Amino acid sequence: MITEQKTFVKALSIQDAINYVNSFSENCKYIAGGTDIMANKFLENDASPVLIDITDISELKGVSETANAIIIGPLTTLNNIQTNSIIHTHLPAMQKAAYSVGSPLIRSSATLGGNLLCENRCLYYNQSAWWREAVGYCLKCNGDVCIATGGANACFSEFVSDTAPVLICANASLNIINCKGESRLVLLRDIYTGDGVKPRSISNTELITEIIIPKNPHFKCSFNKLRLRETLEFTSLTSAVSFDNSGIVKITLAGMDPKPVYLEIDKTVPTQETSKQLLKLSRAVDNDFFSRKYRRDMVKVFLEKSYKELNIC
Amino acid sequence: MRILNLNINNVDYTVTAEDHDTLVNVIRNKINLTGTKIGCEQGSCGACTVLVDGEPVQSCIAPAFRYEGKKITTIESLGKAGELHALQQKFVEHGAIQCGYCTPGMVMSTLALINKNPNPNRDEIKDAISGNLCRCTGYIKIINAIEAYAKHINNEVSKISSCGYNGNCSNNNESEQKKHLVGVAKPYIEATKKVTGAAEYADDIVVKNPLYCKFVRSIYPHARILSIDTSEAKKIKGVAYILLGNELPVTFGVLPISQDETAIAIEKTRYLGEIVAAVAAETEEIAQQACKLIKVKYQPLHAFLEMDESIKDTGEKEKIHSHVKFNNNIHKKAELRFGNQKEALEAADHTLNMEFDFKGINHGFTEPHAATAYWDHNGLTIITATQVPHYLHRYLAKVLELPMSRVRVIKPYVGGGFGGKSDPFPHEIIISYLTKKIGRPVRVRFTREEVFLCNHGRHPSKIKMAIGMRKDGIISTLDADIVIDGGAYGSFGVVTSYYNGVLLQAPYKLNNFGFRTLRVYTNKPQSGAMRGHGAVNSRFAIETMLDVMSEKLNIDPCELRMRNFLDSDTLTVGQYRITSNGSKISLQKVMEQSDWKKKHKKLPNGHGIGVACGFFISGSALPIQWNEYPQSVVHLKVDLDGRVLVTSGASDIGQGSDTMLAIIVGEVLGINIDDIFVLAADTMLTPIDLGSYSSRVTFMAGNAAKMAAENLKNNILNNVSLHSGIPVEELIMEGRHIFTSDKKINLTWNEAIEMATRKVGALTVSGYYNSPKLGGDFKGAGAGLSPSYSFGALVAEVKVDTKTGFIKVINMWGAHDCGKAINPLAVEGQLEGSWHMGMGQAVSEEMSYYNGLLTNANFINYKIPTSLDIPDIHSTIVETIDPEGPFGGKECGEGALHPSIPAIVNAVYDAVGIRITSLPIKPEDVLRKLKEVETLNEKAL
Repeated sequence: MITEQKTFVKALSIQDAINYVNSFSENCKYIAGGTDIMANKFLENDASPVLIDITDISELKGVSETANAIIIGPLTTLNNIQTNSIIHTHLPAMQKAAYSVGSPLIRSSATLGGNLLCENRCLYYNQSAWWREAVGYCLKCNGDVCIATGGANACFSEFVSDTAPVLICANASLNIINCKGESRLVLLRDIYTGDGVKPRSISNTELITEIIIPKNPHFKCSFNKLRLRETLEFTSLTSAVSFDNSGIVKITLAGMDPKPVYLEIDKTVPTQETSKQLLKLSRAVDNDFFSRKYRRDMVKVFLEKSYKELNIC
Repeated sequence: MRILNLNINNVDYTVTAEDHDTLVNVIRNKINLTGTKIGCEQGSCGACTVLVDGEPVQSCIAPAFRYEGKKITTIESLGKAGELHALQQKFVEHGAIQCGYCTPGMVMSTLALINKNPNPNRDEIKDAISGNLCRCTGYIKIINAIEAYAKHINNEVSKISSCGYNGNCSNNNESEQKKHLVGVAKPYIEATKKVTGAAEYADDIVVKNPLYCKFVRSIYPHARILSIDTSEAKKIKGVAYILLGNELPVTFGVLPISQDETAIAIEKTRYLGEIVAAVAAETEEIAQQACKLIKVKYQPLHAFLEMDESIKDTGEKEKIHSHVKFNNNIHKKAELRFGNQKEALEAADHTLNMEFDFKGINHGFTEPHAATAYWDHNGLTIITATQVPHYLHRYLAKVLELPMSRVRVIKPYVGGGFGGKSDPFPHEIIISYLTKKIGRPVRVRFTREEVFLCNHGRHPSKIKMAIGMRKDGIISTLDADIVIDGGAYGSFGVVTSYYNGVLLQAPYKLNNFGFRTLRVYTNKPQSGAMRGHGAVNSRFAIETMLDVMSEKLNIDPCELRMRNFLDSDTLTVGQYRITSNGSKISLQKVMEQSDWKKKHKKLPNGHGIGVACGFFISGSALPIQWNEYPQSVVHLKVDLDGRVLVTSGASDIGQGSDTMLAIIVGEVLGINIDDIFVLAADTMLTPIDLGSYSSRVTFMAGNAAKMAAENLKNNILNNVSLHSGIPVEELIMEGRHIFTSDKKINLTWNEAIEMATRKVGALTVSGYYNSPKLGGDFKGAGAGLSPSYSFGALVAEVKVDTKTGFIKVINMWGAHDCGKAINPLAVEGQLEGSWHMGMGQAVSEEMSYYNGLLTNANFINYKIPTSLDIPDIHSTIVETIDPEGPFGGKECGEGALHPSIPAIVNAVYDAVGIRITSLPIKPEDVLRKLKEVETLNEKAL
């Protein structure tokens, strides 16, 4: 039962959305597929009183290409990403990533934009209001300490987007429009703050209008996701490992830190060393179904698997 | 509130709704299309799936106002009774429906798939329904139904037989089957209602002018309640009543010997989530809001969270229950010894000691608990999702201090139970009290989190087991030392304590056997009965140890078991009377089908095969309440219209007991299923049956139905004889006719009934079942006594990823001796469902706690296997014809689970050489053990 939210409005165009945002100011939140927001609302983790539904804004949907880039509308559903022919041609790892999210029922509603912005997760946060009261409220719900670590003064909620790692490896950018109608172009990698409480630097009043992926004919990417069942799961470790003819391997991990863990490294560096470097960047804590130790161990396993798949030696 | 316009199933609806209303709330509660179900409210089970412009949408996480102007399709838009959609028809025919709660969502997800891909293959089907959880079927029959539908629309002849039953039965005689109902695969009599969304579950039933109940739950595992301030909550408009524990002081518990629980905590709370106050209000939202304003002051007490601590003297710390005899938290000590185990172990050629550790698991039924109670001139009526209307009837009378004649319990369709709805529950008592107090109907429904907190699932357990074995592989002794974690209250725990031990005395012959079980209280949600009750974990232990011994003695594990099996018609060491026994044939079947001899120890590294056996009771011979009332009674009535009304207290919770009753009655009377109407589980209208637990229903209610039908047959024949002058012994009742062999008289069923009811009116008869007197006369002899026992075997094939430690079960070949399959389609469904559930406990399911707080009270982190996780399941029904079972039938819904878990773990050993001794198998444990083996091997070199 959801009770906190008071207003639900539907924007039919980008302008419409901006108008709504201006009338409601900071109290509002955009909602696309809603598979993340609505579950968080049910748990009373999301108390935003105003939701502006953007799912009917057709200009924000679809996949197109130019000579140099693939442009994805943020409201394109993950199911559509999974079956899109342009993506199939240029970015097959993206299909795999989209397919790995939730279940087919989630993917038919969930959008790519929503997946890039989905809320960080933690075993001690994604719980009901009663539960969080009983455990004593963590930093992410206005408490004083991190429960997962037994008292740290920082939040280590996990970044769990499965699609972002592939897009970060592919050097994707976002076109974002603010409530004044001004656009800015930002590298996807740069929107993640690393602060588990406020993990993204995009404000509630901003809207992604385009996801732009530069074309790179030599781009190859291997995608892996750690989860116990073959469907329905949030990630415990997602890895995207990419390679082109530059000799540099790009690696992005989700599930290991409040933000994506990103590393560029020469292909000749042994995976042992590379995984060490990745683990140095990872602030994984015991807040997941799988233990911290196991997830860290799997980084190397995933890396080796990916190197093999991509034929990097 | 504002106006909401929705187009649902091509009808325009205008309703008022809140901005925050979800689509499912509007569809169910404002438009009354209750075919769409609620299972989790977090988009993780698919029960609420509807189509929006042809795409599947989980309506529990869909804001209702988004869907103005869209085309919404719910289950109600498809076929209706008599004109089912072809997909629905396939679900019915193939036995894809058990409890039926996931069915509407499954059907909608399938339609979405077919819209896009009219000719999906099996993998695509599994993928498409992988967001829809089913707990009953193991998905096999659902996938079969969808595959058959796809073939149907593509005009291909389906390879799957049209009855949905794969026909793999040890005793198959097709020509015999044509004359009979018993032994012929039959969809559930209510399958059409379930597949159309018309079947009403507890939360679907609308009563006039109800109040809604919500609870304040404890935020401490063990705490004294210092004060409860309800003043702010009372001020809220729409709050009708706030109930505290002191108004309901009478204790209860399903077992007469464990009356240790009150409906609402009084003075102190014993687990995180225990109810400390209840609010009845005009809406659920108001009730919830009021709950938040109730201020409870607690004084935390030391929380006992681990079994090891609960065994010990508590010292100065306050124990959980004051009634416990000593200064500890031991609820029950159960011990039985036959012979001296210590001496036998010393004398044995080989001995083996092992220790095992099991996490608790939850039933995971798809329908959350829900109930409605109302009070009128007849007293109390409660409609509730229960497996045990009779026990609830008793305890409502006890706690509310009413005569039983003023209490009526009605079981509607129930969305799965598996033991999780087999206790009287606080929420049922609370709303019953509230409706009596307030005079208005009171409703309640649980969130999924509340379902997990209510629990009553499988006990977490620690088992130490020792076996002695002769050189030739014969078990010479078995000794088990067991501790089980009961959580905060008693539930079925005393029985569970015994079952952990006593159910080790078969299927292998033991002359020397002993066990001791301690059930302890801890400050956690209480454990209780769950499918395979009490014996699953100890079965796992012995079956694992036999695998170890077979390796040690270099005897094939199947051969080792064959040498040890009990015979038919024998007594066990504890004087269980074994009648029919299909152990050997079950094991032979799974060996043949799995190609055991070619695979065991012969598959490449990482790929393995394992075997295990099991057995279980067909109902407890001794009733929970000591009295001489029969364990089941069935009434039949036939009137001038010729329809036979079966009334029975038996609770169909999706296992198919209503259909079983109809088949048995129809078989005896030689009439069709359509001539029979089953009215079940309404304590005012139906005679008592003790409930759906301990796999008792087919045996006991089935026998009662058979006796009733035989009585009706005699009654009809006597009356026909009276009016026709033909001696009874010459009359034959068969094929809807009553005739003599020379056809001197040849009446149709209806003509015969017309004749039989002349002058006397409707015929009513009764049948009952009482267990024979069984067992020894020593203390504890009654535990596990049953009029009959089931047997079975299972071979599992797994692949182990040695890099990640992941286990993938790829095949299960199971065979189960159910005596006689009254309805082979239902039996197969029970077997497949049992094996699926066993696999869940083996590889993914556990209840995890953080300081007594359940961390995975949801379907995202409580990991029930999905359609993509299940292996290929190959089932064989073994028939041994039990001498006392109805038509030879005995249980199949619980015992089948037993071998599945050890078979998987033994297969892991065959694959990679590691022994798993704690469940569930965790990938990181697999890796750790692999490393240990590697280190050992290196040292050996």
